Amino acid sequence: MATFTSSAPTQRPLTSQEYRYRQAETGELVGQAIFTALVVVLFFELGVVLFKVLGPLIQSSPRFWGSDLKVDETLTRALANALTLLAPFAAYVTCGARLRELAAFDRRRAVRVALAATIIVYVLVTMGQYVFQVGPFAEKPSLEMSFRQTDEGVLVTGVVPGGTADRAGIKAGDLIVAIGRAPTTADELKEKIALAKFESKIGLRVSRDGQEELMPVEVVPVMEIGLAPLVGGLILALILAVIALFWPGGLTPYVLMVVIMIPLLVGYLWLIVATFSYRTEGLLPVDASGNFGGFTLRNWEFLTRPGTSSYPSIWRITLNTLVIASLMAIIVLTVSSMAGYALSRMNFPGRRAFLSLTLILHGFPAVTLLIAIFFILRNIGKVPVLGDYFGFNTRGGIALVMVAFEMPLGVWLMKGFFDNIPWDMERSALIDGASRWRTFWEILLPQIRPGILALGTFAFISGWGAYLIPQTYSVGTRTATLAVYITQLTGDTAPVNWNEVAAVGLYQMIPVFIIFIFAQEYLLNIYAGGTKGTS
Amino acid sequence: MKIVLENLTKKFGTVVGVDDISLTIEDGEFVAFLGPSGCGKTTTLLMIAGIYRPTAGIIRFDDRVINQVPPRDRNIGMVFQSYALYPHMTVFGNIAYPLKLKKVPKEEQAERVREVAAKMGIANLLDRRPAQLSGGQQQRVALGRALVKQPDVLLFDEPLSNLDARLRLSMRGEIRHLQKELGITAVYVTHDQVEAMTMADRIAVMNLGKLQAFDTPDDLYDRPKTLFIAGFVGNPPMNFLEVEVQREGDTFYAVNSALRVPVPAERGEAAARHGGQVIMGIRPEDITISETGTVRGEVFVVEPLGRDDLLDVHLDAANRLSVLADPAVHLRAGDTVTLALDTRKVQFFDPQTELSLLWR
Ligand SMILES: Nc1ncnc2c1ncn2[C@@H]1O[C@H](COP(=O)(O)OP(=O)(O)OP(=O)(O)O)[C@@H](O)[C@H]1O
Ligand SMILES: [Mg+2]
Repeated sequence: MATFTSSAPTQRPLTSQEYRYRQAETGELVGQAIFTALVVVLFFELGVVLFKVLGPLIQSSPRFWGSDLKVDETLTRALANALTLLAPFAAYVTCGARLRELAAFDRRRAVRVALAATIIVYVLVTMGQYVFQVGPFAEKPSLEMSFRQTDEGVLVTGVVPGGTADRAGIKAGDLIVAIGRAPTTADELKEKIALAKFESKIGLRVSRDGQEELMPVEVVPVMEIGLAPLVGGLILALILAVIALFWPGGLTPYVLMVVIMIPLLVGYLWLIVATFSYRTEGLLPVDASGNFGGFTLRNWEFLTRPGTSSYPSIWRITLNTLVIASLMAIIVLTVSSMAGYALSRMNFPGRRAFLSLTLILHGFPAVTLLIAIFFILRNIGKVPVLGDYFGFNTRGGIALVMVAFEMPLGVWLMKGFFDNIPWDMERSALIDGASRWRTFWEILLPQIRPGILALGTFAFISGWGAYLIPQTYSVGTRTATLAVYITQLTGDTAPVNWNEVAAVGLYQMIPVFIIFIFAQEYLLNIYAGGTKGTS
Repeated sequence: MKIVLENLTKKFGTVVGVDDISLTIEDGEFVAFLGPSGCGKTTTLLMIAGIYRPTAGIIRFDDRVINQVPPRDRNIGMVFQSYALYPHMTVFGNIAYPLKLKKVPKEEQAERVREVAAKMGIANLLDRRPAQLSGGQQQRVALGRALVKQPDVLLFDEPLSNLDARLRLSMRGEIRHLQKELGITAVYVTHDQVEAMTMADRIAVMNLGKLQAFDTPDDLYDRPKTLFIAGFVGNPPMNFLEVEVQREGDTFYAVNSALRVPVPAERGEAAARHGGQVIMGIRPEDITISETGTVRGEVFVVEPLGRDDLLDVHLDAANRLSVLADPAVHLRAGDTVTLALDTRKVQFFDPQTELSLLWR
């Protein structure tokens, strides 16, 4: 501990934070900054792992925010890459940001500490990049030879002894005239190499002493480390840290958030732009000749298209979807709140077995049950009256099956919410003169309102976006839902207008968006584990 | 309303919560259920309330057997330790709820709620939610809710244990006063002796699900019928010494390896009649440190209680006494003291049956 010497007389009393900084040794401050920076890196790397390892899982899940758009593999990979790229910079920014309070009253010391911390973090990060062969240490495809453009063709100026070009028989002074059969230039060859996969082969047509010969050269990974990116990286790191140190307050979280959100936002932006254009190239809408423009409402025409004998109108389908989703929400809520109450409050034989069974069902892949359920629905269909509403190819039947799949989650969730209400509460109500039913309705349900709203929203959204079950158990079109409608648009007998698919997808997403905006607080109750809210 | 419990038993699976309790609570009486944690007080109370159904035994209100009567038809009011206020209702809503369930007309509801609220001193809080009240205010709301339907029986389950000491003291007086004023039969569960002793007409002492004694506070204190009661009631607890009571002429002496003290004739005689070893009980406040004392001992531990110091005095290896001493004397561990025993209130117990030799 450094002793506290008041060399400069302070005009105002120190805040406790300032006092702590004064007391702290430089090494300690540097250590803190480094630690925080490394935590940030760790978080980014977790994200990378998430997208890289779970990427395939995310992609295989059929829905993306309730719409029928699949998550493209390139998206998760791009996200992972973006995170990898951003991680070091976030770390340097953190080094600076961590010391802002120090900077507020001792600039020179703050700069010194921030620079020291940044350099150390830079070294650590660079070492990490070296170990994992990413960033400037990433391996690039190479033929292990150098060449340049001459008038006759591409002249090989040198080969790495023992390298892949050498092994393939290429010597310095050879003239490359073509790749395979296509004539080439040095620039084209460079691009070809850069885009090649490791271990693939590039067939070079080489002219030597007037004779042409095809020489397949294997593309090998080579690590080229230039001093320039390393030094450049360090300078950039130091600049970033200093900027973060003096960045006007409060903005940093937003900047970080926006940066991280960019891939997501771009995705939505692309979706919206696509629905209003004939064609897009990247994010740009283009017309037939490839120039900017080509806006159209064509993709939204499905809204006004009347129903045909083969397919009902969009409004009919929306109504179907709405009915199924609402039915689902209502049934799920009713049954799981009552079941949750019983499971939370009453002791009956088989209670534990029932609880574990529902938990297993929750993890059961729905696909494996499809055929069995088909037979059950068909048999229900044979029952008079009931069969007309809950049999095969009825909206009720579809809702019933979807409810069944949603139920385990609902029951457990509601049980958790009821478990949080003290017993004394309902005892008190019973003594006050309420019946058991009235206690449930007037005393207990109001207290789990957040849970009810959350589960209801959840069930509605999952009914709204459901695809597998409506598609399986509705034949033809009478009971089609929006998700089914989209697949019908992408049928394989006619060319697919993907922009129209995007438009329907966006249309389907609108209610989900709205619900999310209003219900996110309650939905967090589910995702964050059923905490009790009082209001 | 008179409450009669006959051989009341409650089992939870194999756990016996309440074991064969029989007692009668008179109309308008204030009875405290006192006992250590887990002894079955709450269980008994909830059976009276109708929340738990007895495994065996009968509960009567006056002469009516009410075992099968649901809670809402028993006309009871109950105050819980956790208050159990309904968080989504205002204070007014909470107090009015029992009336609403009884389908009392709206105007009368409002009038009666206001009346109770005024009595409880919470008239200005009627628009608030329970979460916006202090613990003491919540306590009053709970009490108001229990009182508003003019119950025949009031049940309290440790209602004051979440309040601070000062508030607890004043609420004790208030509850007691209200109960007497309204003449409602009250059952009050507590594990705080002082609360039971100061508030109750009679105290039912429970241990391990069994009823140990059911007596007035004075009887429990001065005429304990069992060793358990003698040790449980009173703070600091009574001292117990194994002695033999010997008669010399008209005087009886309690004698063991460490002491020889005279005891009152009628008490000593009962003990002497039993013969052999008996357990003598003497309360710490009946022992004084004095020059003229006849019993010598060494101070082992000094525990300051504020007004007094509590000394643990070892007479010899087998005999020790808790003694109250004036802190001004500044006794320390290791000091030797002489003690004078005032034996006018000594108790004698049979070491085998643990029953009193004096009272039955
Ligand atoms: N619902 C229940 N299921 C199983 N055992 C129970 C149940 N309720 C109470 N018991 C058991 O019955 C016994 C008596 O419990 P009770 O709640 O009546 O104790 P208590 O005297 O009120 O204690 P405390 O002073 O801690 O409130 C305890 O051993 C308890 O574990
Ligand atoms: Mg209890």
